[in-house]
Amino acid sequence: MNRIDPLETFRIQPSQKISIQYGRKSYEGVAGDTIAGLLYGNGIRVFSRSLKYHRPRGLYSLDGECSNTMMRVDGMPNVRTENTPARNGMKVTAQNVAGKTADTDPMAFMDKLGFAMPAGFYYRTLHKPAKMWPVAIKKIRKAAGLGVMDPDFRIEGYFDEIYPTADVCVVGGGPAGMTAALAAAAPGLRVILMENRPWLGGVFDYRPAAYEGDLPLYQRAAHLARKIEETPNIRVFTHTAVVGNYNDNLVTAFQRGNETDPFDERYIEIRARSIVVATGCIERPLLFENNDRPGVMQVGCAHRLARTWGLLPGRQAVFSIGDDLGLEAAADLSDLGLEIACVADTRMDGQDETLIDALSRRNIPVYRGWIAYKAHGAKQVKKVTIGPLAGVQRQDIECDLLVASAGLTPLTGLLSTRQVELLFDRHTGFFLPAGLPDGIHTAGRMLGFQDSVKIEISGQLAGMEAAADCGFNAPGEIDSIKVRINAFPGPALGSKIVSAPVKGKKTFICFDEDTTLKNIDQAMADGFDVPELIKRYTSAGTGPGQGGIPGHNLPLYVAQTQQSPDQAPRSTTVRAPLIPTLMATYAGTQHDMCKRTALHDSQVASGGKMERVGVWTRARRFAEDTKALAEIKNVRHNVGMLDASTLGKFRIHGPDALKALQRVYVSDMDKIVDGRVKYSAMCNEDGCIIDDGVVLKQGENDYYFTTSTGRAGQTVEWIRYHTRYDHWDFNIVNLTDACGVINLAGPNARKVLEKVTTADVSNEAFPFVGWRDLTLADCIPARTMRLGFVGELSYEFHVPASYTQTLWNILEAAGKELGIQNFGLEAQNGLRLEKGHLIIGSESEQRTTLHDVGLGFLWDRKPDANTVGAVALTQTEHQKDRLKLVGIKMADASAAAPKDGSAIVDTKFQGYICTARFSEALNEPIGMALVKDALAEPGTELNIYEDSCNGQLLKAIVAKMPFYDSDGSRMKM
Amino acid sequence: MKFKKKRLWGDTPTMKTAYDAVIIGGGLHGLATAYFLSRHHGMQNIAVIEKRYIGFGGAGRNTAIVRANQRTQENLPLYQEALDLWPVLTRELNFNLMFYNCGNLNLAHSEAAIKAMRMNVSAAQFSGVDIRLVDRKECKELIPALDISDKPRYPICGGMFHPAGGILRHDAVVWGLAKGAAKNGVHIFQGTEATGIDVENGRVAAVDTSRGKIRTPRVLNSAGGYSADISYRLLGIKLPISVLTIQAMVTQPLKPLLHHVISSGAYHVYANQTLKGEIATGAHMDPWPNYTTQTTGHYIKHQAEALTEFLPCLKGVKFMRHWAGLADMTPDMAPIMDGNAPVDGYYMDCGWGYFGFKSCAVTGKYMAEFMATGECPDILKPFTLKRFEEHRLMGETAALVQYSADN
Amino acid sequence: MSFTLTCPICGPRNAYEFGYGGEDKGPRPDEKDLSPGDWCDYVHMNRCIAGESKEWWIHRSGCGIWFTTSRDTTCNLEVRGKAEEKDANPPLEKE
Repeated sequence: MNRIDPLETFRIQPSQKISIQYGRKSYEGVAGDTIAGLLYGNGIRVFSRSLKYHRPRGLYSLDGECSNTMMRVDGMPNVRTENTPARNGMKVTAQNVAGKTADTDPMAFMDKLGFAMPAGFYYRTLHKPAKMWPVAIKKIRKAAGLGVMDPDFRIEGYFDEIYPTADVCVVGGGPAGMTAALAAAAPGLRVILMENRPWLGGVFDYRPAAYEGDLPLYQRAAHLARKIEETPNIRVFTHTAVVGNYNDNLVTAFQRGNETDPFDERYIEIRARSIVVATGCIERPLLFENNDRPGVMQVGCAHRLARTWGLLPGRQAVFSIGDDLGLEAAADLSDLGLEIACVADTRMDGQDETLIDALSRRNIPVYRGWIAYKAHGAKQVKKVTIGPLAGVQRQDIECDLLVASAGLTPLTGLLSTRQVELLFDRHTGFFLPAGLPDGIHTAGRMLGFQDSVKIEISGQLAGMEAAADCGFNAPGEIDSIKVRINAFPGPALGSKIVSAPVKGKKTFICFDEDTTLKNIDQAMADGFDVPELIKRYTSAGTGPGQGGIPGHNLPLYVAQTQQSPDQAPRSTTVRAPLIPTLMATYAGTQHDMCKRTALHDSQVASGGKMERVGVWTRARRFAEDTKALAEIKNVRHNVGMLDASTLGKFRIHGPDALKALQRVYVSDMDKIVDGRVKYSAMCNEDGCIIDDGVVLKQGENDYYFTTSTGRAGQTVEWIRYHTRYDHWDFNIVNLTDACGVINLAGPNARKVLEKVTTADVSNEAFPFVGWRDLTLADCIPARTMRLGFVGELSYEFHVPASYTQTLWNILEAAGKELGIQNFGLEAQNGLRLEKGHLIIGSESEQRTTLHDVGLGFLWDRKPDANTVGAVALTQTEHQKDRLKLVGIKMADASAAAPKDGSAIVDTKFQGYICTARFSEALNEPIGMALVKDALAEPGTELNIYEDSCNGQLLKAIVAKMPFYDSDGSRMKM
Repeated sequence: MKFKKKRLWGDTPTMKTAYDAVIIGGGLHGLATAYFLSRHHGMQNIAVIEKRYIGFGGAGRNTAIVRANQRTQENLPLYQEALDLWPVLTRELNFNLMFYNCGNLNLAHSEAAIKAMRMNVSAAQFSGVDIRLVDRKECKELIPALDISDKPRYPICGGMFHPAGGILRHDAVVWGLAKGAAKNGVHIFQGTEATGIDVENGRVAAVDTSRGKIRTPRVLNSAGGYSADISYRLLGIKLPISVLTIQAMVTQPLKPLLHHVISSGAYHVYANQTLKGEIATGAHMDPWPNYTTQTTGHYIKHQAEALTEFLPCLKGVKFMRHWAGLADMTPDMAPIMDGNAPVDGYYMDCGWGYFGFKSCAVTGKYMAEFMATGECPDILKPFTLKRFEEHRLMGETAALVQYSADN
Repeated sequence: MSFTLTCPICGPRNAYEFGYGGEDKGPRPDEKDLSPGDWCDYVHMNRCIAGESKEWWIHRSGCGIWFTTSRDTTCNLEVRGKAEEKDANPPLEKE
């Protein structure tokens, strides 16, 4: 198609050719074209097939109001081609159609079956007989959905995110938005202005109609846009869809990058002190038979195709409209070369008479009170039947374009997402806000204003009110602007006509879901009277167009049809994201946060198999053997080293530090012996164990303690929470990241230690559960504790994180001749299991008390300490029918260890295996299990039900713990 | 145009001054209880009062997933019976609830997760539930879009597959139960709020509503997210509940891509493709109590990031609708089903959190038995309110819950 | 990223920086002769008010302070003025 001669309003570069591929063919367009526009210019009229009936669908709107022009672009489904810029080399295919283009569709016969699928069709049928339903599901799934997503699809591009703050955030870059931004920026406030289209201008942008005198609207828009550009404290985001508005003025949006931007799309999240919503209007569709035929399009769509892109939308047109913008477009399009047979206007009166005159000068007849009844033609409009709304007269007119629009509908989604109540306004026919939350203002056409100057001034007012929210109050100026606004005539009477009086079988209120007026009637006949329920029952408005097509018409139609004069139309709910948003855009850049210990690199270099453990990355093992038996053996018989840096480490000090410890630890911390650590546990208020670790006293009112890895992040919070009413004087410092921990364990551990210290570390001088501050290798201060988690002679070195690697290297060198080796979490797990030492979370659940795991002996009944969990520990001390932690061995010692998590059963579920492993030391499987107390006595036979065991139970016997070195002599050697 | 209104759930009835039972809440649990009272126990003189319209709350906001892969032996039989009920109800109600028995795949991303799943699987298999552990290769066969490489930050180690689970159409369940109850004579009053409960001599005597007083010896609090508020406001009974917002969202419709419900504990997401082709996903809750049903930008963002970690093709799919509902969470993530204590004739069916959908029919069945006979059925006994003061939490979750201060 | 809360030290901040710490039920009750019911009431039971609720919060991703504030649970907004004068208010009494 040839473009019309260049106009000042063009947004294309006619000299810059581009081409895209659609189906098997290549199509040429120019830079600035949208995908759909480019195809339209090449004569493509059918862009997709509809969801249920496979009706041909064409270019109807230009801002993504419906899914008609959704296509698959470069593998990405459901791309709104009507507002996606075409780029050279794009590959486009049609959706919901068997072929690659939408022109022919073997499923088109579905259109004939519409009568058989009334509203509620699925609910009432297909379940009888029951056998039929699974078959029907397959058919329904195949038929449903629009775009195809390849499971192996990988998106390309860069998806950025930014989090600016602003004093005033203006949404909508039309005339009202621009004047609002300028007014808000005047006192120097930081203003953000966002516009969905790639350029500012809104409803002024493409129109040659006069603003004032001879100045056309598009020039006025350009003038305002230039002023915005010249204002340094206004930050403009164009091609930016605002998708959400949340409490305390948090606005979310995404911006599409152009070819020169360093991002493909970026997520924008703005916290603003004040918001101006100036989102304007979209068109309210006009309904009639076959109102969805390709060749039927909205006024703005037809007008902008010509004015912005130079594409004359058809040759011979009929207009059926309900708003002055339709009259204006008809006159202008006629001047641009479109033959217009007539204009049917649903309004009997109220038109701008200058526009009527303009049409009559062009010999275009205007029929007041008339409407399109039916569009004819299979894949493209060929003829239109028009007639008066009241009356039997009908007239058929041949044409290839039917420009149809019922009127306007304001875009209030940003108010709905803030749960602002919208009430029906009988004058404009709009749903308008009943009141606005603090810090939100509205302006422009969305309030029903039509006069260009008034639209601008309303923006100016909103901008000044927003500035007032930020402390720049100018009451006098605001009042005088209000006076100016009130001098203009009020909003025009809006047409409320939804549909020509037709039967509605092929009258589509929702294109996306193929919902007809007939379906809405059926839903009402079934008793659904609230539009929101009708929406759910008929699916109208739940498609990808997000209610852009039926959102306004549905409540109007329901109210008009139900004829209850007292019942004002009630709007349906609009939800974020107001414009469908790519998951890639929401996902943005990588947000994963993961910590590495100071020893991470050397652990990896040593062959560590690393995995995520909570926020940390840790080495599970250092060999292929998943059971890590070599590592276990080396610790049992020689010496090994473990990176235990993830252990929680804390200092608590101050006059009330002891009181705080007494509050959270079950043991009496007043009994800590100098030079010795105290092992203890923390419980929650149900007496359930949540943490264990050691505490030592490092000075007067000064303690150091450890927690499990998992609790490290919450411990400070926990202690402060449980002392929040006490106003105690203590300070607590989390040293977890500041200190590394190396565990040196095995019968030869002392030999290694002796090589790096001159201190007396003999068993007598430094006994089990003792701690010493040692200087290792003459240079590294190391808080050293003798602990026995793995059940051997063992030292834990707590050193500043920056020294940890050096100490590790020193110890490794010192132990080299002994054959020192790394061990990882898996070996530690096996070793501690042999000792019957529990890991919280592994051998306990949320409901497991200190008593249940056999650690009740840790609990000192401290009077007046109000220890967290003590009340529950008293109350549950002798409670029966609880799951208790026990040791188990297999009845057949040569059997394999049962799998972790296997159930223990008799006639009922009686517990489960927490951890079970083959014990290297005992040469048989051992484990720990939580079982009902009735089965907890040593010697009790247990039946283990492993998953997929087909009823073949394993036999185990409750065994005493520890399994290994029951008197602990190896830890104490 | 005029319509002869033949409401699916009967014509709007006239409110009587007395009913044999009043059910507060026209959600799934209330409607199901009304239905079973009227069908199994011959109690037809029942009023269901609903402040908004039926299905307004959680009933219409969940993602309609059903499954019986619970963790504890108290829950397992209940949820298994719940699964068996859907085809029965479809037939009884003569309303297609659109039960799509597609199965549920839970992903495990660590050895510890496999262990936790094995506990679920062995307990469930022992109870006769159709469920099994699967390795990562089988996960990929079930959901070809999964990334089973080492690229995700929590690589997939395996999972558990529960073929018996699936999805339904939630609105259909609401409408179907309402239709069935109304057919049996139950009166459903929409736009009617409970404003008070009269207690005389330790017994329920009447319910005050925005449309007047109803005398009744029995009242069921099945008000979902508002049950704890109603309990405290109308009777002064505090419950161990925190009311949180849970959010869900759907993508634009696609041709079949996910053939099963998929979920991941490590990433805190689940997703399923509805019969309409939309991918519905959710899981996270804002960890503070509120009644707003507000969504947040934070969670839709989180959801996109988490879901696309292991389903990377979804990065090219668009979210189009995001909503929220209320979840009445208890400290052990198990419900409170109790009655006649501390007030005779007062029954509660609340604290369901986000398990309320899958359990609605079976709970209705047993709560109906409870209310009709006054005797608590054995299957409901573990769910007593007393368990909290006895420190016997149910263990439906192994890990500590994050929304309570006490963790 | 919905509402903001006012930290007594850091001022108004995004709610996701904070952690919720339960309804303000007052200091721990005296444990002597406390019935299981009373204890449970303190530990687990909530009023779940749809409206203004006084509650504990911690500025978790910030200064770490625990503080009380009043919030309207029906709109998730802080009740203005309450955040500043909260220290003057005694904790709500236990029913």
